Amino acid sequence: MPRHVAVIMDGNRRWAKRAGLLTSQGHEAGAKRLIEFSEFCFKLGIHTVSAFAFSTENWGRHKIEVKCLMSLIQHYLKSKIQYFQREETRVSVIGNLTKIPESLLRTVQEIEEATRSYKKKHLILAIDYSGRLDILRACKSIVKKSEKGLIREEDVDEALIERELLTNCTEFPSPDLLIRTSGEQRISNFFLWQLAYTELFFSPVLWPDFDKDKLLEALVSYQRRERRFGCRV
Amino acid sequence: MDLNQSIRLLSSWIGQIGDLGLNLLWRFIHIVVSLWYIVSGIFEAIESYAISLGLNKKYSSIDLEKLRCLAVVVDIEAVQDVAKVVELLQWLTTIGVKQVGLFDSQGLLKKSKDLILETVPGSMLLEEIGKDFSPDGKRIALEFISSSDNKEAVMKAANILLQRYLKSSHPENDKGENFFTESHLNEALGVVGENVHVPDLLLVYGPIRSHLGFPAWRLRYTEIVHMGTLKYMRYGSLLKAIHKFTGVHQNYGT
Repeated sequence: MPRHVAVIMDGNRRWAKRAGLLTSQGHEAGAKRLIEFSEFCFKLGIHTVSAFAFSTENWGRHKIEVKCLMSLIQHYLKSKIQYFQREETRVSVIGNLTKIPESLLRTVQEIEEATRSYKKKHLILAIDYSGRLDILRACKSIVKKSEKGLIREEDVDEALIERELLTNCTEFPSPDLLIRTSGEQRISNFFLWQLAYTELFFSPVLWPDFDKDKLLEALVSYQRRERRFGCRV
Repeated sequence: MDLNQSIRLLSSWIGQIGDLGLNLLWRFIHIVVSLWYIVSGIFEAIESYAISLGLNKKYSSIDLEKLRCLAVVVDIEAVQDVAKVVELLQWLTTIGVKQVGLFDSQGLLKKSKDLILETVPGSMLLEEIGKDFSPDGKRIALEFISSSDNKEAVMKAANILLQRYLKSSHPENDKGENFFTESHLNEALGVVGENVHVPDLLLVYGPIRSHLGFPAWRLRYTEIVHMGTLKYMRYGSLLKAIHKFTGVHQNYGT
């Protein structure tokens, strides 16, 4: 089984349109699907599940939709604190959290604090996340540490940059499997550095319809591959 | 043997039978999925053959305006067969693709650069082309990329930014906003020799669906298509992948 599965949850709006529902209902169905998805992953022994909930580029959407998304994320996180504690699942939120509403930020801090001690299951939500800005942020962090004398210039290597990325919150920062739904075949600025040897699974199914059968198909597909991490075998 | 021991033994047997059952079920699912892939592979091969013969009019002419830069990732085992890479480039030239980035993690294609440039008609190195160059006819600009252009390049660029920041005079509470923007990192990558041209489409030839360490900084909105192994590459599949790309609409997250 993969240790870390990442997912780009694409297709909520199209799903809602197809079903004759509002966009907000599509996102709500997507949030529900994420809970089911991560629950099933953890049952199968997968340690880390990371989900691309909101990208930096998503700020360009209609203001009402953005506000609705932020409210939805806040509602789900707040209402699921006890659930995650019961399931002993650690929840982390990564991204540029300076732009999100204050109330959501408080909820994020609350849930991270409440679940920090759990080690066996880890759910990571990427909110206002950009792969390029993650790399840039890591470079900036290294410069700051160098200025304080914590590291020397000659110490800057790939491993150091990796340790400064936002995925340093997990034991397994590089996903083994990335799933993107709705038929799009690109990574859209998600985990650019971390996905070098990740198996990419592009599913034509819209995210709210991505049920256990589809997840099993992705996992079986992953198990059929022989990953060599760029080396000769 | 007392009752407790019997119960423990029985539980252990039930557990083992349960595990065996789950194992068999998982293997059965594997067989079903494998059969599905075999059947869809046969259909794809037939379709690809039909496309190659020109039986499908949809692929007879492709508008390549959207495809300014194509990248090809080749698995390390396949890259030794340079003849196949040359054949692929000849196909791409025939289709009308003007700029191709060739990537393999170990840089073996870089070592075969001269051979490839000699063998592929109309090919030239991208770095030797002037900025206002516009490839005409059956000419193709090639770029050779390896893993050293990925993480190692970003690491070197980070060092350049570090040196510039330390050498500059800036207030103590400066958060470095003037030194750490995407364009600064782009510029620093250019200094270390990394071409930051972003490919519109990335074709992966290998047994697994992974970009195998292609320069991450360049992959933000790139369409990624897994083409199977290079050994069994098909012209029809290549044409189909490029045609499909021309119909893709991106909303860039908005």
